[in-house]
Amino acid sequence: MIEPCRRIRADILRVAHRSGHGHVPTCFSVVEALYAVYAAIRHDPSNPDWPERDLFVLSKGHASLALYCTLAAYGYFDVVEVEGFGAYESRFGCHPDRLKVPGIEVSTGSLGHGIGLAAGMALALKIEGSPRRVVTLVGDGEANEGTVWEALMVAADQRLGNLAVLYDHNRSQRRCLQIENPGERLEAFGCAVTEVDGHDVAALEAALAEATGERPRAIVAHTVKGHGCATLVEDMFAWHRRSPDAPTLAALMEELHADAV
Amino acid sequence: MRTQFRQTATALAEADDKVIVLLGDVSVYQFEQFKARFPRRFYNLGILEPTLISVAGGLASRGLRVFAHTIAPFLTERAYEQIKLDLCYNEFGANIVTCGASFDYAWDGATHHAYGDLAILRLLPGMEVIQPGSKAELAALLTSRYASGTPSYFRLSDHPHAIDTGPTRFGEGVVLKRGGSGVTVMTAGPLLANVLPAAAEFDVNLVYFHTLKPIDRELVRAFADTRILIVHDAFGLREAVNEVPGLRSWYHGLPDRFCSWYGKLDQMRARLGLDVAGIRAAIAALIAGKTASPSARRGDLAPRRTPAASSSRKRGTA
Repeated sequence: MIEPCRRIRADILRVAHRSGHGHVPTCFSVVEALYAVYAAIRHDPSNPDWPERDLFVLSKGHASLALYCTLAAYGYFDVVEVEGFGAYESRFGCHPDRLKVPGIEVSTGSLGHGIGLAAGMALALKIEGSPRRVVTLVGDGEANEGTVWEALMVAADQRLGNLAVLYDHNRSQRRCLQIENPGERLEAFGCAVTEVDGHDVAALEAALAEATGERPRAIVAHTVKGHGCATLVEDMFAWHRRSPDAPTLAALMEELHADAV
Repeated sequence: MRTQFRQTATALAEADDKVIVLLGDVSVYQFEQFKARFPRRFYNLGILEPTLISVAGGLASRGLRVFAHTIAPFLTERAYEQIKLDLCYNEFGANIVTCGASFDYAWDGATHHAYGDLAILRLLPGMEVIQPGSKAELAALLTSRYASGTPSYFRLSDHPHAIDTGPTRFGEGVVLKRGGSGVTVMTAGPLLANVLPAAAEFDVNLVYFHTLKPIDRELVRAFADTRILIVHDAFGLREAVNEVPGLRSWYHGLPDRFCSWYGKLDQMRARLGLDVAGIRAAIAALIAGKTASPSARRGDLAPRRTPAASSSRKRGTA
């Protein structure tokens, strides 16, 4: 684990503890993906509305805490402010609101929406003849929603080579509708598919940089829900929305830093 | 009305290079010339209403002025959450334009009837809900609101009226007749074609709306001291008018049943008491002081059979 991603995870744990809100395992599965996205796309934390920026859409909006902590790591705002996560009058809700938080392009939360909006944004940029591009992150649980596949069909049919879809394959649905072969399915829906270790930032960045011509890019990120803390990995369903109390926070921090020197 | 939609959209596209037409594989022939003229501004995405709305939202987010168009029940009821979140909550101001209003597709049965769209869309914060009754109203309202920056719903019918309702201004109702009986008839959309002749025989006020959200509260309030009969072939107007508190209002419109007859629009309207004779009877009843809703009494259904599974369950519980 690279140190920036360890720090983001530590921030997530601290905020989850102080706020009483969770979704920690799903956040931990996408930290490297989010870190890689903001390393790869054109953006300016000092000017979130920079007209030439690329667009990122967190379709699996329940990973908002990971996104907030990543945006804080890139300098969009101070992570201390995120500690109001989910609190009355905080601008940092448990699902992201584009009208409150700089760097958030789309308000998401209900699954299966962000990717369709991202496709529309990519189509708009294509119509404009803009070199800007759109990246969206969907979850494998989210991919149970039919609209994910509708949006992929449209993206392929409209030849949206300026759209990249990160697919968080963290096997969150193994107790119900687990899609075992997302790469094959994404390929069948018209995407140019790359499969990577979703906790390898360099591999993710390389995949995001690949040219795809007119085909939308799909990147299957093989991830582990709760990656970084063995307790979260082993009991991911119980931890889905849980917030750690003080002793548990200390134990999780110890696990998180166990392999750090 | 779809021809008028195409003509107005084309005229707008001539002057505004941000105009985009998105189709859900409906009205495709109507837009052949538009497609030829503006190939980068015409997209027939396919039969996927939720994604039609999401893509419209994504386009609108970049400042494009989108008309997303397909059949009313599918675009508004199936894709309701997309309209709620991807357009309204995100404040991405795309325009939704539907065909197949109320019983335009009477013969196709209840799957294709659309009478809940206006009512459910009125509930969404920031949504404009427009039911033009005539081609002239559609042209005026599309032109004045397509670039409003807010999500707007335009409900087209293949059976518009041809009545001159005067200058068409978004959000403003129209008084078409004033009378002294203490009864006011309020209606909206193409049904005016039946309501106007029905009301002509009585000494009543007649108020007409093409905009259901925002409703013209000032105009409603002006008739608050009268008994109000709301005549509408959909849900939504009754609720809009009653935003003004304290009204004495009655609804002559749809029953709480699927209207599972087939046939044609006029036959559906006659069955529901929304033909001229039926509306006339409703007005006469209210003037005479009979205040029970005519709609509530109409429980009669189209011919039906009782499927075997239902009948065996009944036997089992008897």
